Amino acid sequence: MSSHPVWAAGVCAGLHAAGSRHVVYVPDNPLSHVLRVLREQYADVTTTIATREEEAFGIAAGLYLGGKRPTVMLQSSGLGNSINALTSLFVPYKIPALIVISMRGDEDATEWNPAQIPMGRAVAPICDAIQIPHVTLASPEAAQQTLEEIGNAAFASNQARACLLPRRITVPPK
Amino acid sequence: MNRLEATRALSKWFGDDAVIASLGHPAYDLFTAGDRDANFYTWGSMGLASSIGLGLAMAQPDRRVVVLDGDGSLLMNLGSLATIGWVQPKNLVLIVWDNALYGTTGGQDTATAHGADLAAAAGAMGIRAVATVRNLDELTATAARVDTEPGPWVIVAKVSENSPTSKPTLDYVLIKERFMKAMRQ
Repeated sequence: MSSHPVWAAGVCAGLHAAGSRHVVYVPDNPLSHVLRVLREQYADVTTTIATREEEAFGIAAGLYLGGKRPTVMLQSSGLGNSINALTSLFVPYKIPALIVISMRGDEDATEWNPAQIPMGRAVAPICDAIQIPHVTLASPEAAQQTLEEIGNAAFASNQARACLLPRRITVPPK
Repeated sequence: MNRLEATRALSKWFGDDAVIASLGHPAYDLFTAGDRDANFYTWGSMGLASSIGLGLAMAQPDRRVVVLDGDGSLLMNLGSLATIGWVQPKNLVLIVWDNALYGTTGGQDTATAHGADLAAAAGAMGIRAVATVRNLDELTATAARVDTEPGPWVIVAKVSENSPTSKPTLDYVLIKERFMKAMRQ
């Protein structure tokens, strides 16, 4: 559908191609595009809103234990709410998930809200520190292949792995 | 009743259910009451047992999923009740061992010792099958109701603290793999 951003359509196609039929999330503005594509074009994908990102990871862990391939979507600020779930459940039990992080404050000179900047800078180092492999989406057109590859690698290796969606792609400069 | 007595009273009732235990004493007592492949022992992620149970109940709607939570743990993730109330998984049974204290960390009071009512919170979040039980007879009678009345259920079981005598393995991947194997059957 041409009305949807290329990156958002690619995220949906990629997670679907990786076999994910369950998306658990805490919304943010750019992710609303992804959710709209899922609602309109992916009737076989179940979406569940959690009250908090850590809860989303708990639900995702249960989905995986029941044989599903969960995707967790969150804003970068929500990674701070998720760390204990990742470090004391996903990593030590080797529970995989495809994680999609909508970035804020990653290009801090143009971020209007200073509250977003510290975590925007810290997402990648935190992922490194807690053993969450991650890649930053390189272009809107790369979204489908990148998500599919990360998802397939995550579920093949029993690792939670993340795709970071940079602000310059999700909200391009006018 | 203490928590171990209560856990033992449910051991046969579990049948083939998936049982998710919150970290610390609830998990230790589940292991002591009877280790089984369909037990998932958390060793961390305090507060998330009910969320793990919700996800599992969504993944396998034909299997009964029992969560053994603690009052302190549920207080850490009260939003989980709102999500369970929204999703309405008929096969989820959340049992809260409410001893009104943080038993694993030295016995500090929780808010349920000072008026917080977790059963009322569950009801307020749209969970209709809610019970508070105070002895083994009430617990087993409520478990029998669960067999015939659809969930989601929240059962707040007022228990006294006991000192666990054994603990499950620290091989987390083993816990996960044998649990998932049981979930494939």
